[in-house]
Amino acid sequence: MTCISRNSPKKSNFPHLQKPLYSLIQQFPIVFRYFMSRRIFGLLILISLLLTGGCSDGPDTNGMKIYRHSLNGSPTSLDPAQSATIYANHVVVNVYDTLYSYKYLTRPYQIKPNLAAALPEVSEDGLTYTIRIKQGVRFIDDPAFPNGKGREVAAADFVYSLKRHFDPETRSQGSWFWAGRIKGMAEWKQAGSNYDQEVEGLRALDRYTIQIILNKPFPQLVHTLAQGYAAIVPREAVEHYGREFSVRPVGSGPFKLQRFDSVGVVLVRNPGYRQEPIDLAYEGYDEALHGKFGIKEIDGRAPPLVDRLEIHFIKESLSRWNSFTKGNEIQYAGIPKELLDDVLAEKKPDIVLKPQYAERYFMTSGYENGFVHTDFNMRDPEIGYNEDKQREEMNHALRCAIRYAFDWEDRNQRFYNNMGFVFPGIIPPVTPEYDPDGPKDALEHNPEKGRKLLAEAGWTADMLPTLTYGGVASVDSRQMFEQFRGWLTKIGYPKEKIVFDSYASFGDYNRAVKKAKIKMVGMGWGLDYPDAENTLQLFYGPNGSPGSNNANFNHPEYNRLYEETAVMQPSPERTRLYRRMNQIVLDACVTISGLSRRQIFLWHKDVVSFPDQSIVGGFHLKYVDVKEDK
Amino acid sequence: MEILQYALRKFITGIPLIIGVTLISFLLMVYFGPDKTYELAGKNPTPEQIQEIRHQLGYDKPFVARYLEYMKELVTFDFGYSDSTGERVSSILKRTVPISLALILPGFILGNLLGIALALVAAYHRGRWLDKFIMSGSVVGMSVSFLIVIIAFQILLSSNDGLGWFPVRGWNVYNFWDYLHYVTVPTLATVFVALGYNTRFYRAVIVEEMGRDHVRTAKAFGTPPGELLFKHILKNAMIPIITRIMFSIPMVVISGSLLLESYFGIPGVGLVTYDSITTGDQPILKAVVGITAVLFVIVLILNDIFYKLVDPRVSLK
Amino acid sequence: MNTLAEDRNIPGESESLWGKAWYKFRRDRTGMLSLAVVMLFLIIALGVWAGLWGQGWSSVEGSMWAKPSAEHWLGTNIIGQDIFERGIYSTKTAFEVGMVVAILSTILGGLLGALSGFFSNSWADEVILWLMGVLDSIPFYLFVAAIAFALQGFPYSMHIAMIATFWTTTARLVRGEVIKLKNFEFVEAARAIGLPRRLIIFRHIMPNTYHILLVQATIVFVSAIKSEVILSFLGLGVVDGVSWGLMIAESTQEVQAGHYANFLTASILLFALVMAFNMFSDSLQDALDPKKVSA
Repeated sequence: MTCISRNSPKKSNFPHLQKPLYSLIQQFPIVFRYFMSRRIFGLLILISLLLTGGCSDGPDTNGMKIYRHSLNGSPTSLDPAQSATIYANHVVVNVYDTLYSYKYLTRPYQIKPNLAAALPEVSEDGLTYTIRIKQGVRFIDDPAFPNGKGREVAAADFVYSLKRHFDPETRSQGSWFWAGRIKGMAEWKQAGSNYDQEVEGLRALDRYTIQIILNKPFPQLVHTLAQGYAAIVPREAVEHYGREFSVRPVGSGPFKLQRFDSVGVVLVRNPGYRQEPIDLAYEGYDEALHGKFGIKEIDGRAPPLVDRLEIHFIKESLSRWNSFTKGNEIQYAGIPKELLDDVLAEKKPDIVLKPQYAERYFMTSGYENGFVHTDFNMRDPEIGYNEDKQREEMNHALRCAIRYAFDWEDRNQRFYNNMGFVFPGIIPPVTPEYDPDGPKDALEHNPEKGRKLLAEAGWTADMLPTLTYGGVASVDSRQMFEQFRGWLTKIGYPKEKIVFDSYASFGDYNRAVKKAKIKMVGMGWGLDYPDAENTLQLFYGPNGSPGSNNANFNHPEYNRLYEETAVMQPSPERTRLYRRMNQIVLDACVTISGLSRRQIFLWHKDVVSFPDQSIVGGFHLKYVDVKEDK
Repeated sequence: MEILQYALRKFITGIPLIIGVTLISFLLMVYFGPDKTYELAGKNPTPEQIQEIRHQLGYDKPFVARYLEYMKELVTFDFGYSDSTGERVSSILKRTVPISLALILPGFILGNLLGIALALVAAYHRGRWLDKFIMSGSVVGMSVSFLIVIIAFQILLSSNDGLGWFPVRGWNVYNFWDYLHYVTVPTLATVFVALGYNTRFYRAVIVEEMGRDHVRTAKAFGTPPGELLFKHILKNAMIPIITRIMFSIPMVVISGSLLLESYFGIPGVGLVTYDSITTGDQPILKAVVGITAVLFVIVLILNDIFYKLVDPRVSLK
Repeated sequence: MNTLAEDRNIPGESESLWGKAWYKFRRDRTGMLSLAVVMLFLIIALGVWAGLWGQGWSSVEGSMWAKPSAEHWLGTNIIGQDIFERGIYSTKTAFEVGMVVAILSTILGGLLGALSGFFSNSWADEVILWLMGVLDSIPFYLFVAAIAFALQGFPYSMHIAMIATFWTTTARLVRGEVIKLKNFEFVEAARAIGLPRRLIIFRHIMPNTYHILLVQATIVFVSAIKSEVILSFLGLGVVDGVSWGLMIAESTQEVQAGHYANFLTASILLFALVMAFNMFSDSLQDALDPKKVSA
């Protein structure tokens, strides 16, 4: 429907309008019949659509135990190799098996064997890992297998699944976890990714034993094996479905897929899933923390606990909330920021629900495993590195001045409900290496100081470069930009020199970022695993664009320390070095960072759950139970 | 048989149109369009990986080769697989087009029927207060933005602050009752917005018909008003009315439901297309644009045939 | 249509057409009222443009979602911007979008329509018709989105997209009119005395399509500002500054939390302007309708 429909441009094309009366009367039956047949035809289409359109999986859910989860975004691909988002992981880790997983309730997170029979045996030098997997685990029945019967999962399947990441055909998004780390993998890829060829560092020693040999120690390896990326896929299915493998997962996880589209996914119990009774004590059950949620009752039962798991993807937080409070729709949601004051009785220091909500819903909250930050693009000579050393000094002062202009408290209040955790630098509070007593001056909001700094460094208003602040053309990022611009004018930055560079999609924004085209890059990072190494790599020189180092920070000492710590096991010494690296980033004023958002999860009281969506995403869903009688 | 030949001939003359539409949209949406590479590249890609992805997506091929490939896809109606989900484009369309139609058709039909009804009333009372009332109403209807109508209706009918009778968003349709539940608010919004335009257009058509000699003659001979309206006026007015309806069809299927679908989170073809634009999912984009162009040409042909049927003086040259 | 031929003004009398139209328009109370409203909006927009008011739209001094007060007449939005100022400033944006699109698409449509009508059934006509057909067959929002992407970062991509789609209707109308006009005596006379074709088109034919162009321009103006709202909501619209569309986009989340100021301000202003313009356009159409002028 274009907008000009008031006029009838085609009007002059109607020669028949002037025809004599009799011809029309003659023709009338034809017109009428024609008209009617089209109408009836249209109705028939409509009816047939109604009959076929939505009824593909009708409500044959009688007597089924259903849990309706919800997420604020949707996955695009369910291929483990492309499970880059927590949304994808929510599905992937529930339809596939990973070697390792995190314990349901223990915090900080603790690794436990999943498909693996035990934790890996690691050689003295930390280079050789031997992992044995459970026997008798079967893939679900699927036409991809001979006779449609799922076969047993073997060590070779893991080897295949990891190799896939290094086959360009796979379009892997997770290969960077292991790139350069597994012995012989680069050569294997070089030689054309032939699956029949062996990789020296990744072999199945026998049907149930995996051996991984690393180039250099990689203490986070076990964590990477708990990710959706490392999920185990059968080669038959990959080859049978080809490109459509990404929407037809065939795994050995607790659930199997029934329906998947952009508004939701429906999973049903995998009847052949191995029986492993839950040992709550082992999973980290603590009466004080978890007792009130009724989790005790799942002790000794074997997951999955529900017959049907629906995950609804609802981007608009208010729509999600409305669906949640309806009662018979989704059973899990967050609180939209617009409604926080209506729903919460207290926000700080503890989050307390108002009684009418506390009566109906359970709640937990916690800081996200990640943070948001705004980086300066150091590759841009107008604000970052410059051949002219004096200009580089001035740029440093400019960056620090902008950081003084930044008002974290205000940002936190307006966009994060004043519940975010603001911390200096790039080691977020959820990681064990976070330093609660570290210097906080990098968070100071002081326009006066910023103004002075600019003057001292010799900046005048007309010398200042035009700042392009990149973002997706969404309401939030536009408002964040406008807020930022408002702050900058207070240190004397001319308003017209602060420009919003908007991109209609995240992909396009990301392209501009990866091509190092934008001066200021606002980004968020979600931790893949709970180790600050995962955020420190964000400022490692060789990871510069198009890598994850969007700031294109390249600092010799930092790089050296990163390489040094990357092979170290957790230790006080490593923590000390981590913190030193954090300080280097702060001193260079290369990022304005950061804030970990507070997440609040609510769920209906008839659901037995302890939700978590930060690490990996969705690994808790197989433990969720729904009480039968309400 | 004659008609078939005529249709075929028309279709051949429609080919330049199809080529034009596909060429322009290909140039804009595909060649200069959004780039999928960086969405597929993951969090920490290397330049080689980016090169690999570009190669797989075919971005490194020359323009002509890519366009010809597109033409081939259009002729064989095989658009391959979505670049983001990997699902077959044909199965995506098979899933989403019915939803869009089911969403938009009730509003479309009601909007037109009510529009015609109101237009008849207005035209019959031409110049009197009822006519003025209806026409002012239609100007008001035309002046309210579709977006505002959607927001207002959602607040009033769906949210808990309002009546809360209908779901706020989504499309979990398993039976007819569900369908009514989900389709009502979007339909009301569509009807509200379309009514203003439709009433006005149909009134103009009907008033023009009423002024014709044969109608005046019939009136002078004392034909009852009902008969006059239906037999003499409406049947002639049917021609522009049907033309208007037919020409709306290709647009209604695609862009008419885009706003509704994105606001109500309904997984129809409009939303899928919009997402494919913003994420650069070119196979879907190519399919939708190509099919729309073909549909348009088909409507043009049907329209010509329709004229022919109505008026024998238009020859099937 | 056939009646048009008889009382169709010929050159020389065209002034009297406009004179009669103006006379008629002045007596149309709805028309005058709506014109007054449109003028009021225009003055607001000009004032913003001249820097007289609406300049504080970007300042973030206020508190979050402040209630209306003496300082902030209509309250503030989430980041403390004054909603009244933003509403006022958006009037300028609306006029900017409306004017640019209306004027350029009318010129383009008028020229190409006249050309195609004058040389009807020639190859030039065929090409123009083909182009119109092509542009009409591409769904509007897809087309705009595509242009927005193709011209990434260019602030006027939305305008270009609208111009590219809106001119075709004007062109079709003008083409039809010109085909009719060129068989009239005065044109044949001009041709007979050997006037160059360019002169015939511009001196003798184009002026007789001005009433179509004027009405069409008002219709396009309304369409443009209405489309802007939807495009801005979809993230494809105004890049710099603020517009009613952006305000409504901001408000979609707020309204359900009971913050209606943004939504109401933008929608009421938008509605008032569009309504007035629609009525103005109607009255204009009536006044310019030659059938009614001579009646």
